Amino acid sequence: MERLLDEHIEKLKRRVLKMSSLVDEQVQAAIRSVETEDLTLAKEVIEKDNQVDKYDNKIDKICQKIFALTQPVAMDLRIIMSSLTINNNLERIGDIAVNIAEYIIMINKKPPFYNQTKLESMFKVVKQMLKDAIDSYVEGNETLARAVIDSDDNLDKMNFDNHKILIDIMKQNPDNIEPGIALLVMSRQLERLGDHCTNIAEDVFFIVEAHLVKHKYEKYLFDDDKDENDD
Amino acid sequence: MKEIKIAVKDLNLYYGEKQALKNISLEIPEKRVTAFIGPSGCGKSTFLRVLNRMNDLIDHVKIEGDVIIDGVNIYDKSLDVVNLRKNVGMVFQKSNLFPKSVYENIVYGPRINGIRDKKILDEIVERTLNQAAIWDEAKDRLNENAFSLSGGQQQRLCIARALAVEPEIILMDEPASALDPISTAKIEELIHDLKQKYTIVIVTHNMQQAARVSDQTAFFYLGELIEFDKTTKIFTNPSKKQTEDYVTGRFG
Repeated sequence: MERLLDEHIEKLKRRVLKMSSLVDEQVQAAIRSVETEDLTLAKEVIEKDNQVDKYDNKIDKICQKIFALTQPVAMDLRIIMSSLTINNNLERIGDIAVNIAEYIIMINKKPPFYNQTKLESMFKVVKQMLKDAIDSYVEGNETLARAVIDSDDNLDKMNFDNHKILIDIMKQNPDNIEPGIALLVMSRQLERLGDHCTNIAEDVFFIVEAHLVKHKYEKYLFDDDKDENDD
Repeated sequence: MKEIKIAVKDLNLYYGEKQALKNISLEIPEKRVTAFIGPSGCGKSTFLRVLNRMNDLIDHVKIEGDVIIDGVNIYDKSLDVVNLRKNVGMVFQKSNLFPKSVYENIVYGPRINGIRDKKILDEIVERTLNQAAIWDEAKDRLNENAFSLSGGQQQRLCIARALAVEPEIILMDEPASALDPISTAKIEELIHDLKQKYTIVIVTHNMQQAARVSDQTAFFYLGELIEFDKTTKIFTNPSKKQTEDYVTGRFG
């Protein structure tokens, strides 16, 4: 039976998809602006952020409308709840793309010690994580979602390594400090980007199985009385 | 976990040749609200009426299986049905008040049970009208005809009347479906308060109402009990696809 709610949910999904591809483009462009030292492209990323923000608002609005008008339950409820948190994560990823673009503009070009860091590998990993996170949402694919969650530890480790590498480099010469800090911040931003992709992947589990995998522990929602009686 | 108040085992019910309830087993805990949901004709109202033997009044009904209330099988031949219905009160979709005063409607049951003392009857009237959250509206109208009350007030008076004979279980068949939203909210609040003392079983077509008022929900379809679980589970992550399809409005 075709429901009125289906129309709303289709529209919501279309908007989340549009938001996803916008944010994916922003991340790709920000990374390319660093790799190719293309400051014009970096500026475009910063300018385009308002489009991401516009979609953020659009998604919030349609979710509010669906809650108010249709009182969704079960799978419908999970799709809408998750779309809200996925939207929030996408918006933050968009901000990270802007931050990366701002830092390359600040330091103008990659410092000579750039290749000693693990930034290139991190770029590769986050691009894949973001792609997989979006695909897992679109397809309801738990295997892809699991892959995203598993990649996160690798990213954390590379960020940790970058700290050590860059601190050593900065100790060698005070002139390295400004570009060194910029790369350190980029590394930290990429690590955060991975966290947001992980959050999206966790929501895929919630939509498909009503399964909460947040915060590294697994349990079923509403499985015990204690859970419900907690404040 | 609450004690089991009503235990139904392998219940089958036939209207003549047609089987209306198929092999139903479930346990209803005491002092909780249990909701029955399902599309029209699924057997939920028939099943509700099984719980105080209201189906006895219908010709050609055949019932198999056990319905145990407080350890007693209510289909035992030696059972006193009048006593059963005193213990298991019922409120219907449309209020079915007597064409008498508010006061007389409430004391009717207690009087039949032998209470004659005016002071005790007065106390019953005040207590039950308070319990049914209608005392403030009705206290100055006790001698008026019950039909002069509004629809919502009449329905709460029906609940007060059911409480007057001190039942332990109250069955409600669509108690708010003919009421406006404010009166519906009052009935729902009342149900929530009453579960402190009573075991309540409610049949409703309004799924949001079942979600709001009940602790556990049973979903019936084509005479079968498809799923019975905590209301939160039924409305967030039901185990059966048929339940999911029904609560999300995909069929029914």
